[in-house]
Amino acid sequence: MKLSLNWIKDYVKIPEDMDLSRLAYDLTMSTVEVEGVHDLGKQFENIIIGIIREVLPHPNADKLRVCRVDIGEEVKEIVCGGSNLYEGERVVVACPGAMVRWHGEGEPVEIKNTKLRGVASFGMICASDEVGLGDLFPAEEEHMIMDMSHLDVPAGTPVAKALDLDDMILEIDNKSMTNRPDLWGHYGIARELAALYDLPLVEFEKYTPNAVEEYDVRILDEERCPRYIGAKIEGLSVKPSPFEIQSRIWRVGMRPINALVDVTNYVMLALGQPTHVFDSNHIIDHIEVRRANEGEKLLLLNDKALELSTDDLVIADAEGAVALAGVMGGAKDSVLPETESVILEVANFDSKGVRRTALRYDNRTEASSRYEKAIDPERCDLALSMAMELFASLYPEMKVTAYNDKYPNKLVKKEIDVDFDWLDRRLGMRIPQEIVARKLGTMGFEVTFTDVGMHIVVPTWRSTGDVSIKADIMEEVARMYGYENFQPTPITTTFESAINQLDWDLVRKVKEYLAFRCNMQEIFTYPWMTDTFVNAILENTDGVLALSTPPSPSEKYIRSTLLPNICKAIVKNERSFDEFAIFEEAQIFADRDYTSPYDPVEKLPYQRKHLGCAFVGKSDNVSELFRRAKGVIGAMPRYTHMEGFEFRQVEKPYWADDTVWMNIYLGDEKIGDLALLSKKATMACGIKVVSAVLVEMDMEAFRPFNSRTNKFTHLPEFPMNDYDLSFFVDSMVKWEDIYNAVMGKKTEFLQDVKFVDEYKGKQIPEGKKSITIRLVIGSGEKTLTGEEIEAVAKSVIKKLVKAVEADIRTA
Amino acid sequence: MKEKLEQLLREGSEKIEGAKSESELQEIRASLLGKSGVITELLKEIPKLDVSLRPEMGKAVNNVKALLTEQIEGRREALLLKASEISPDFDCTLPGIEPQIGGLHPITQMCYDLNDAFRSMGFEIFHGPEITSEYYAFDNLNFPPNHPARESMDTYWLEGHDSGEASDKLCLRPHLTGGSVRYMQTHKPPYRFVYPGRVYRNETTDARHERAFFQYEALIVDKDLTYTSGKVMIKSILSKVFGQDVPVRMRAGFFPFVEPGFEIDMGCLVCGGKGCSVCKHVGWIEIMPGGTPHPNVLRAAGVDPDEYTGFYVNIGLDRLVMMRYGVDDVRLFHGTDLRFLNQFR
Repeated sequence: MKLSLNWIKDYVKIPEDMDLSRLAYDLTMSTVEVEGVHDLGKQFENIIIGIIREVLPHPNADKLRVCRVDIGEEVKEIVCGGSNLYEGERVVVACPGAMVRWHGEGEPVEIKNTKLRGVASFGMICASDEVGLGDLFPAEEEHMIMDMSHLDVPAGTPVAKALDLDDMILEIDNKSMTNRPDLWGHYGIARELAALYDLPLVEFEKYTPNAVEEYDVRILDEERCPRYIGAKIEGLSVKPSPFEIQSRIWRVGMRPINALVDVTNYVMLALGQPTHVFDSNHIIDHIEVRRANEGEKLLLLNDKALELSTDDLVIADAEGAVALAGVMGGAKDSVLPETESVILEVANFDSKGVRRTALRYDNRTEASSRYEKAIDPERCDLALSMAMELFASLYPEMKVTAYNDKYPNKLVKKEIDVDFDWLDRRLGMRIPQEIVARKLGTMGFEVTFTDVGMHIVVPTWRSTGDVSIKADIMEEVARMYGYENFQPTPITTTFESAINQLDWDLVRKVKEYLAFRCNMQEIFTYPWMTDTFVNAILENTDGVLALSTPPSPSEKYIRSTLLPNICKAIVKNERSFDEFAIFEEAQIFADRDYTSPYDPVEKLPYQRKHLGCAFVGKSDNVSELFRRAKGVIGAMPRYTHMEGFEFRQVEKPYWADDTVWMNIYLGDEKIGDLALLSKKATMACGIKVVSAVLVEMDMEAFRPFNSRTNKFTHLPEFPMNDYDLSFFVDSMVKWEDIYNAVMGKKTEFLQDVKFVDEYKGKQIPEGKKSITIRLVIGSGEKTLTGEEIEAVAKSVIKKLVKAVEADIRTA
Repeated sequence: MKEKLEQLLREGSEKIEGAKSESELQEIRASLLGKSGVITELLKEIPKLDVSLRPEMGKAVNNVKALLTEQIEGRREALLLKASEISPDFDCTLPGIEPQIGGLHPITQMCYDLNDAFRSMGFEIFHGPEITSEYYAFDNLNFPPNHPARESMDTYWLEGHDSGEASDKLCLRPHLTGGSVRYMQTHKPPYRFVYPGRVYRNETTDARHERAFFQYEALIVDKDLTYTSGKVMIKSILSKVFGQDVPVRMRAGFFPFVEPGFEIDMGCLVCGGKGCSVCKHVGWIEIMPGGTPHPNVLRAAGVDPDEYTGFYVNIGLDRLVMMRYGVDDVRLFHGTDLRFLNQFR
């Protein structure tokens, strides 16, 4: 919202020497955010009124003229292509240094002395668009310059002064006053400034009608229309409003139209109360405020043709809807060129209804955005008074011939008791009572002091939801006293015990383990999944929750697993990287197990924190990818201090390769899967080059240890010996079989066996593979002899031959 | 013979000092002191001399032998000091090999920094469900019925759960504040906790708006706490996270769940408050709403608002991270592009 400082000064006498940046700061700190202060006069710097003394032909161009223009101290030659140049004309001259927009378009450029077709030109004679005054002085035709001959000012007068444009415009962030319907006009802000600076605020006199008849106003929905004032005014005409009114409306961002419409806009901009005028010749019989009939038609002022719903409130006459209440007038019945009498509407409408209607037709207006903040019905009195005064001054012969003020739904002022003891404690200090009373009083609160506190009657304009409890009063007092005038208070606390949140710590440990020890990058994805990936990963969408208004039609389902979005991330990154590992920790959801640990009535669906990982690499080395994934997951419990997992093959995940998959178990509970993404799913996802081993685990199943539990082992006193063995076995033999064969039954001095290498291919017989293992041989009591070591190896070989028919190659 | 000795010593010394390598030195040693070295040969000739000359000459030759031997040892030491098997064309300006490590998301990093800061002040960490009922999303927080935020255009309601009573209607949480009520319901005051998490708004995205973004709530509830304590809390936290004194200002702001409510600005760290494009030339950047929990919110949490009060802030994590690194598009955070994420390792 834009505010004119000059306009505000109509209502509160701000000292002339007030520092405006201070005012903007104070207003920002206490009331609303001032986003900027714009010096309107500055925009017209070096732009003056000149008087054309002579119009001469241009020697080199037919369409150009050379004007000798009196700019006050001297007469200058200016080349101009305007079609309406004449001697004695007062024109707007942009002197060198002025900023103008060429032909009213693009960014402003600086005017310089120049030559046009060989003739030197001092500055430029401007069209209204070129100096930003197109709305106030619309050019009748192209190539017409601004004719300011109606202004009786000497040559050289700055335009800003001639047009009284020396004003400061405050830009207010609308979002900062959504809860303050009283601030949506100059008067409301003036009231805040009055309270801030302890200045008097101008009051309005109430309008007393002396109309001959009662105008027929019928309110059929009193809930939605608490008040409606209708006044028939005759003796009017459609003409431009005086320049001052036009100028004010224009300064704060609206366009002057004609006097009748300008008056309604002026009142709204001044007071925040929308008003409307209908051409009374087109209102048949009476005004009624009612719900629209289903499908009722209305053509709005902006030519939108609506088919209304029964939730819409309309202003109607005997024949049908004439306006969308609180939103916009209809095209047929509003002010027309021949209008001579009007019905002035000053009304109050329910905020929520106006909002719904405006949104329903995507037709938010200056009026609707004010109504939807919940304006108090008492403000109609101010608006009526101001509108009548303006009409009377613009049309001295005007007459109010019929009038009615229907106010069925009176607003009750809120009353609040505040005790000082409470206020002092919450403020952390005592603010003198007279200051409290003065600030509240200026803002319209009626304060009565009692023994222990205050009884406060809230003004109507703050009673529509804004102020209702004592905390609201505390806020009013504190912000007007100045938030920056309170001293910082240190926070004190009592200590009971150290914070110990094992679950939360474990999540962090796991993430740091994956990132810093395992070379993986954390990613974030959205909770909704794209259908392509859903179809690739899930067998069906049973039990998957969906959004009723999804971000896009193909992103309806919200995740029941992290994998679809992880696959999407793979597709995105395989263009730039052929090897990477990523993980995500996020909540998943399912349409089951509705319950809530917080509230017996609330039923929340299943939601668990999951961990998803992808190990991505070239397709020719799936074994290494798989082993890396298994290593990362297998070692995780040890590094993050929780109970260990086991890998089993019990139930193949739908998305997994037929062979390369494992389930992850914690005790007897399956808590996740680790598997190669199947060929089919890979293709369905659109993954082109890489292979991916995916992991998903239920993090809430993790069981953190209370502290670190691994124990120190003594360093071996006697040497341990590595002994490598290579052998062929059938290619279907599993490492698990080999391990069990070697370690299953105890061999003396054999401490451990490690996997070294597996090889298939050249030089290996068909259907076989070569395995290399490393035996760790040693004793806690002595250094072993060569014979003793060989004996261990021999014993192992024997077991391998027996268990897996190993064909020993080296010993 | 004496002259011959002196000449040998001089020449030998020159050769030794000129030796460039261990092997060259070996050769010199052999030529001088070896089995058929010149000195050895000289020694062999001493018995052939006149008896009277033998002692003197013997001494002289042995003396030269000792001198040369010592010099050879000295030279060997010197050569050893410089010895290297590395070719002189070794390039020390080649780039270092960086450790191959992954990384946490920049928002996680900021969240952990804040967690550490708040924990140092005795705050617990809380997590709540992402799908919540309308009751906890709005009603408990003093949002009036029909508040615009409840409409589907702002909130992601769940299909099949988008009508009915407030406890039946389910949505992706539009903010964390309702979750804070959950914490309060399950704990006894006084409270001191933070609640980091992702929230969801149904809106059009652009460089500054996202459908999913991160909030970080902090709440103290205690007896007789004033908003000025809240200011102390915010200032401490921001100063710790940014590693320098951060100016903080609190100005009037409105949110249904706080009364009084504030918009909290931090001094722009880019320009030091002088005004720049980052802070839109005002020297301040709006980073969070805050205030005293509305009595209705405390009541919903089962806390007596006459006995207890508090202070609440809701930090926009995305914006804080954007400021930390100068990121200019909030959508990058959920974009999963490793070329972006790799920059924050």
